[in-house]
Amino acid sequence: MTAEEFIEFVEQSGLEKAAKEVDVVTTGTFGAMCSSGAFLNFGHSEPPIKMVRCWLNDVPVYKGLAAVDAYLGATSMSETKPFEYGGGHVIEDLVSGKEVELRAESYGTDCYPRRSLETTIILDDLNQAYLYNPRNAYQRYNAATNTSDHILYTYMGTLLPRYGNVTFSGSGQLSPLYKDLNLETIGFGTRIFLGGGVGYVVGEGTQHKPQSGFATLAVKGDLRGMSAEYLKGAVFHNYGTTLYVGVGIPIPIINMRVAATAALKDEDIPVDILDYSVPSRDRPIIKKSNYAELKSGKVVIGDKEVPSSPLSSIKVARKIAETLKRWIEAGEFFIQRPIELLPNYREFKPLKIKKREVTVGDIMMPLKDLVLAKPEDDIKKVAKMIIEKNIDHVPIVSEEGVLIGIVTTWDLTRALAEDKKTLKEIMTRYVITAKESERVDEVAKRMAEHHISGLPVVDDVMRVKGLITSDDISRKLVGRRGV
Amino acid sequence: MKVKLRYSHEAASKPVLAEIILKTGLLINIIEAKLTPKEGEMVIDIATQGQALKRALEYLRAAGLEVTELRSLVEVDRERCISCGACISPCPSRAIRFDESLDIEIDERRCIGCGICISACPRKAIQLI
Repeated sequence: MTAEEFIEFVEQSGLEKAAKEVDVVTTGTFGAMCSSGAFLNFGHSEPPIKMVRCWLNDVPVYKGLAAVDAYLGATSMSETKPFEYGGGHVIEDLVSGKEVELRAESYGTDCYPRRSLETTIILDDLNQAYLYNPRNAYQRYNAATNTSDHILYTYMGTLLPRYGNVTFSGSGQLSPLYKDLNLETIGFGTRIFLGGGVGYVVGEGTQHKPQSGFATLAVKGDLRGMSAEYLKGAVFHNYGTTLYVGVGIPIPIINMRVAATAALKDEDIPVDILDYSVPSRDRPIIKKSNYAELKSGKVVIGDKEVPSSPLSSIKVARKIAETLKRWIEAGEFFIQRPIELLPNYREFKPLKIKKREVTVGDIMMPLKDLVLAKPEDDIKKVAKMIIEKNIDHVPIVSEEGVLIGIVTTWDLTRALAEDKKTLKEIMTRYVITAKESERVDEVAKRMAEHHISGLPVVDDVMRVKGLITSDDISRKLVGRRGV
Repeated sequence: MKVKLRYSHEAASKPVLAEIILKTGLLINIIEAKLTPKEGEMVIDIATQGQALKRALEYLRAAGLEVTELRSLVEVDRERCISCGACISPCPSRAIRFDESLDIEIDERRCIGCGICISACPRKAIQLI
């Protein structure tokens, strides 16, 4: 029976009876899985070519392989229609039987003299075409929200400002890997439903982290025999293209532990809601939730009811679990014991940047060269200092050196025109700032977002340490890498 | 009822909407407004139905405006839609939800035609009408 039918059965008859009577529980998920793609072999043209660069419907295909072998990645984007059409769409088109344009270039060798070719192919023209996805079917996934005051377009979809909504991914109580939470039945060689056809688990997926419920799978299957109903090219606005992949795994109920995890319900599966407005690999957790709350359509954050919606299709996930169940019942699909189980612990390493990156502190104008002013200062006196030092920004500070405002040459011009006397009357009180340790590209982005040309650099207690301007960034960094 | 109004540049100088609001007391929400040197186009939501709506539309037509009644502002291409739900929570007017069979359902009375669902849809299955 399907995982959802099993949950109901356990509720009615108890876990022990269910474990005894049920042999296999089927699962399903249908979501955006960016680490997906296909290995293709085009066959040799006459005269043959060693393809060095290659495109399918203008989507670049990876060619660091033998002459006519290639890997088409789901997130590779069309050079003529980026953010609209990509590798995932090419896979969908191939599986639908559509004609796809193939273009290739080479430098020509003695054994492969041809230098270019243009033709069209369909799936049946290829020698081999198999889906090989390095990371699919996350056990569970974090949900996303946005605390900033602008719209975010992410791989977690459109996130409205100020907790406007929550999006989540994964099928919860139907999730293949969550139903065998301790990975006792799934491993290398497990036969699975993949993209509407039959596929195999070929190992742990990349970023496999089973100890915290983030196990993943690498899977492989022949594209011939798959269906475009379960392989859909997709676009996340301003993010890029991807592929929705349908995965279903049969879980044999081999013992009480597996039965217990197969019976886990949406409310038993924890999901952290993360703040995607923090552009860091460690995003802060806004709330600890679960799939039941997320699937209900609203989540309570603080005293606010926030709408929530999935990114992966629960409807199609159910259909996959149903289809797999029918295949097994009809004797068309056999359950394969894995040759090797997946590791149940993997360290999850971050990427360390070992080369020192240029920070704000490296290129800012230091405190000793700055012109600072007090709120009570006379405008004319400040204007004179600006001319002497040839600068555009004057931070306004308290007696203790704490930033309380800023004036620019433009503000001063206006002040003179409007006959204002002190800085207090004209200074901007809401000041965008930078920290010495920040990377320069982050600060440049902040300046562009707010349409400003200079930021005071402050420490943790808002004492002014320096000033960084767009001029500093463009002048001092020309020709330097890493920014 | 949502209505699309098209009007000549001359008509744009007359406060037609203000007049109709004052005369009838109807609640009118302006959803979209564009004015080019040639002509103007506006989508408004008139919060009424039946006779009162009919009178309002007649008034607009009498003022020289071209009036088209809109049934819905966006439509879902069912062939492309995969019922993922990515369009639901970004909708600011909560006009989109799953129906009982988990298909996407757009409540045309709530839709304000902002178009955020169009860009939020990973399948490009939603279009403005």
